[in-house]
Amino acid sequence: MIRRLPGSARVALAFVLLLWIVAAVSPAFTARAADIRLEERLLPPSLAHPFGTDDLGRDLAARVIAATPISLTIGLVAAAVSVVVGFGVGAAGGYLGGVADLLLSRLTEVVLCFPVLFLLLALAAFLPPSPATVVLAIGLTTWPADARYARAEILKAKNLDYARAAKAAGARPARVVLRHLLPNALPPLLVSAAFGVSWAILAEAALSFLGVGLPPPAASWGGILSAAPSYIEEAWWLALFPGLALFATVSAYNLLAEGLRQATTEAGGN
Amino acid sequence: MGDARRVGDSGEAELTRYVVRRILLAIPTLFGIVVLVFLLLHLAPGSPVSASGSPESGRRVSGAAREEMRRLYDLHLPLPERFGKWIGRVVRFDLGESFVDRRPVSERIREALPATLALNGLALLLTLAIAIPLGVVAGGRPEGPFDRISAVALFALYSMPVFWAALLLQSLLSVELGWLPLYGVSSDDAPGGIAGIGDRLAHLALPVTCLTYGSLAFLARIVRAGVVDARSQVYFTAALARGVSRRAALWRHAFRNALLPVITLLGLLLPGLLSGSVIVERIFAWPGLGRLYFDSILSRDYPVVLGLSLVGAVATLAATLAADVAYAFADPRVRESA
Repeated sequence: MIRRLPGSARVALAFVLLLWIVAAVSPAFTARAADIRLEERLLPPSLAHPFGTDDLGRDLAARVIAATPISLTIGLVAAAVSVVVGFGVGAAGGYLGGVADLLLSRLTEVVLCFPVLFLLLALAAFLPPSPATVVLAIGLTTWPADARYARAEILKAKNLDYARAAKAAGARPARVVLRHLLPNALPPLLVSAAFGVSWAILAEAALSFLGVGLPPPAASWGGILSAAPSYIEEAWWLALFPGLALFATVSAYNLLAEGLRQATTEAGGN
Repeated sequence: MGDARRVGDSGEAELTRYVVRRILLAIPTLFGIVVLVFLLLHLAPGSPVSASGSPESGRRVSGAAREEMRRLYDLHLPLPERFGKWIGRVVRFDLGESFVDRRPVSERIREALPATLALNGLALLLTLAIAIPLGVVAGGRPEGPFDRISAVALFALYSMPVFWAALLLQSLLSVELGWLPLYGVSSDDAPGGIAGIGDRLAHLALPVTCLTYGSLAFLARIVRAGVVDARSQVYFTAALARGVSRRAALWRHAFRNALLPVITLLGLLLPGLLSGSVIVERIFAWPGLGRLYFDSILSRDYPVVLGLSLVGAVATLAATLAADVAYAFADPRVRESA
């Protein structure tokens, strides 16, 4: 699989792995990230503080590093929720067809009609604030894209010989879908999931930026950025560095997804 | 010509059948939207569901507000009756009164609408005006230098969080260079007449840019893919063989075919723009629907939240429906036979 990835996607994959390594060592920075020194507030970047300091004198570089695992994990788990729900709805509709497909397709369309951020904000603000709420809110608003992917894949595959053979051998629908169709639909779903991770990371950052994401003291990149507008006239570094981490991460996942898509469509084309 | 006539009839009938089918399919979707908003209401703190659940940390509602919710949404009634009343009110376009200022929700939405329309309308125009030529030129020479450079740039724009872009633009263009105002709709001391229009445009520049670049990156990639696909079709080669110039073949033949999928995508851009409005209007203190929605979420003004969700989703449904019908009419395979 990796050997078929284009060069840009391999670089992206390496960067994603590096991010997870940073996330693994980040607990070493949490003490520094929480170290409030009011006499050092809003210092511009320097050797002592490469990203500068925030409005409470905390080292911004340490805070950005300490936030890595939160942003990455929420992105991954929320994307997983989205893929599981989306695959369930899409595969059920595609395999069962008829009325079930009509209803599930309408359900997908209904959710697609809502502006994502409207639903996200309502869910995140109405449910008790916790990481689980954020993950659920993101997963439950972004699954329609995965459902459409899954449905299309299942429709393509369900009349192929191996699926008919499994059915003729007496396998139940759930078994046909999970044991026979799912493995074959996996590559496109993987692409959808990789795009989903970057989406989920952005969504979490948007929620935290707007102040309805993770409850304090947990701080994601979006949460760190939420302080930036108040100091836009005096401290540009508050906006630049946490956003840069976010941008680089989202770009890497998008590049990886794009490369996976190329690799799988080329492989499937022959 | 009898044959052509018959073909024409069947094409028209097919078109009509398609449009009718599309509208019929939209009815259950519309119903689903109304149900989903109804469910959203039951998540709201103060509603029966959350009252019986665990105590909400820091999200308690006052007794008065709870009483208000009960009265407004008939929460004392059993579920089926409550749902019936909700449907009845939606059908009459009665979205209730805002908890904050007691005014009808529809009035508050109407007040905020022009600001959002101006912002999103300009963003949409700008998106089309840039994305289409960009996609056509890039797709005209796939893997050429322009295609490669624009691909990287579009990819970067696509991955850029809108609130980060807004903050960077503000610190560079407003704070450092002082070229554009930081936020707001107009300056306090704005002169009238022509100079006043200039002031308004200066205030629009940054928020419109922030709303534009994301959909631009998305759309340009779609147009490019369509043009690349069209270039490999027989009609394109045939046009070149007839002696049509490369530029004319690109714009008259490849582009027109690449435009078809763009029509259907236009409907889907609407929810994205509304989502973007929430963030952009908040950062730039823009008095539109996005800001109204966010403020209502923060102040727990449920009638406004539910009303705006309903209006946003129904508008999107209408836009996708219109786009699909327009597509059916624009597709020459249907139109020319009709």
